[in-house]
Amino acid sequence: MADFLICCRNLTKAYGHRVALQGVDLELGRGRIVGLLGPNGSGKTTLIKIFCGLLQPTLGEVTIDGQAPGVYTKSIISYLPDRMYFADWMRATDLFDLFSDFYADFDRQKAMDMCRALGVNPHDRVKTMSKGTKEKVQLVMVMARKAQLYLLDEPIAGVDPAAREFILNTILTNYNEEGTVLISTHLISDIERVLDEVIFLQNGRITLHNSVDNIREQEGKSVDALFREMFRAMPMEGGGF
Amino acid sequence: MLGKLLKYDFRSVSREFMLLWPAALVIALVMRFTVFSGTGSESNQLPDLVNVLVVLAYFAVMVAMFVIALLFIIQRFYKGLLGQEGYLMNTLPVRPWQLVTSKLICAVVVTVISCAVAFLSMILMIPLTFQDIFNIDFQSLWKNLADVFPDMVLLLVELALTMLTGLVASITQLYVSMAIGHLFGKNRIVGSIVAYVGIGMALNVIFTLGASLLSALNIYNWMDWNLNYTTGVHLVLWLLIVSDAVLSVVFFFGTTYILKNKLNLE
Repeated sequence: MADFLICCRNLTKAYGHRVALQGVDLELGRGRIVGLLGPNGSGKTTLIKIFCGLLQPTLGEVTIDGQAPGVYTKSIISYLPDRMYFADWMRATDLFDLFSDFYADFDRQKAMDMCRALGVNPHDRVKTMSKGTKEKVQLVMVMARKAQLYLLDEPIAGVDPAAREFILNTILTNYNEEGTVLISTHLISDIERVLDEVIFLQNGRITLHNSVDNIREQEGKSVDALFREMFRAMPMEGGGF
Repeated sequence: MLGKLLKYDFRSVSREFMLLWPAALVIALVMRFTVFSGTGSESNQLPDLVNVLVVLAYFAVMVAMFVIALLFIIQRFYKGLLGQEGYLMNTLPVRPWQLVTSKLICAVVVTVISCAVAFLSMILMIPLTFQDIFNIDFQSLWKNLADVFPDMVLLLVELALTMLTGLVASITQLYVSMAIGHLFGKNRIVGSIVAYVGIGMALNVIFTLGASLLSALNIYNWMDWNLNYTTGVHLVLWLLIVSDAVLSVVFFFGTTYILKNKLNLE
């Protein structure tokens, strides 16, 4: 078992001329709940996609549990993308079958229980589900795994504040406690209370990586307040004001 | 892991074709007892219009079957690996070549079964009785063929290989074109079409050059073969098999390379 769960060295990703990540160095331990915070377009999704092997970095390297992204790392990562990924004809149970076949750490019974708790009928066709219900199904699939690393890309962006609480509680009561949860979001106040540490990402660079307790102690303010301060002070890039 | 991928890809095959294939056969059977029911006009009781409609229905089903098969092959790859579903499939703990192989096997099976259904439906349409079939003198048929082509078995194997490699090359050409199109940031579909046409044109040039090179070298005389008709046929078939196999390999690994290194889902 590698010392750090995630280890990045000079991680850089450019899409043509546009640089999305610029020399990111990062080490993340196990058993942590980490907030990946930053404004839209700061590189959060790019970083997560590199971790789960959907993108190759332009420069630098990343290891998850000591290995470069590949079959092994995919087997220990549970990834919640920021969009729907299932075909309409599927039922939730079809997806549970698929996950049972491919992920040894998927707990089908737990998935069925979570569906019941969230008021989702897993035998319904995905086509007939509302957007919120689809998001719940996707969350159930991701959290019913006993993964080493949960990568949750904007899990609460699309839902109303009441549902946010519900989703956060689902995450908190179901994740594998030896594993690390990385949650990307720009809605900080909603998730601040659950975080152990935070990473601030801006224009593809990490501007802050610290534990929430340290931030409160050293800065004397909440993460949300610090975030607003840091990012309000910055003029819009190219905006000229 | 490939087996598990195939299991899910074949589920989508059955969802798409489980009605279509039997429907084609049933329509063929209906035609056998209506349009082709007798030789004399007095035994054909149905008005002409109905006959025309049944024939039209048959051709519509055949065309639909192959169009659906082609669209299925394209969509299962494009949507399944490069679209939204790609977020699911490309994060499964499998290698890119396994993803592509699974889609490829499904595509080959869908095409082969569709051809078999088309062939079978033609046989069903013709009002042969069992007696007619038993009366066909297969032995002398085979013997006559074997007189013209002494190595009939080898030829059949070569023909089957030619069709198979040709099919695999055509499908992987579609795949690699879509993968190349994926490299175009915004106009991915246009990029795919351009890539497909571009590859087709490049192949055309290569094969024309190759053919003229072969004839310029006057390869038959040069090798001093005792050239007869069948040797020529074998030679042409093996040329096709080898070139299609090479193309398939190039297209396949081009596709997996892009999936592994250049994937950029929207």
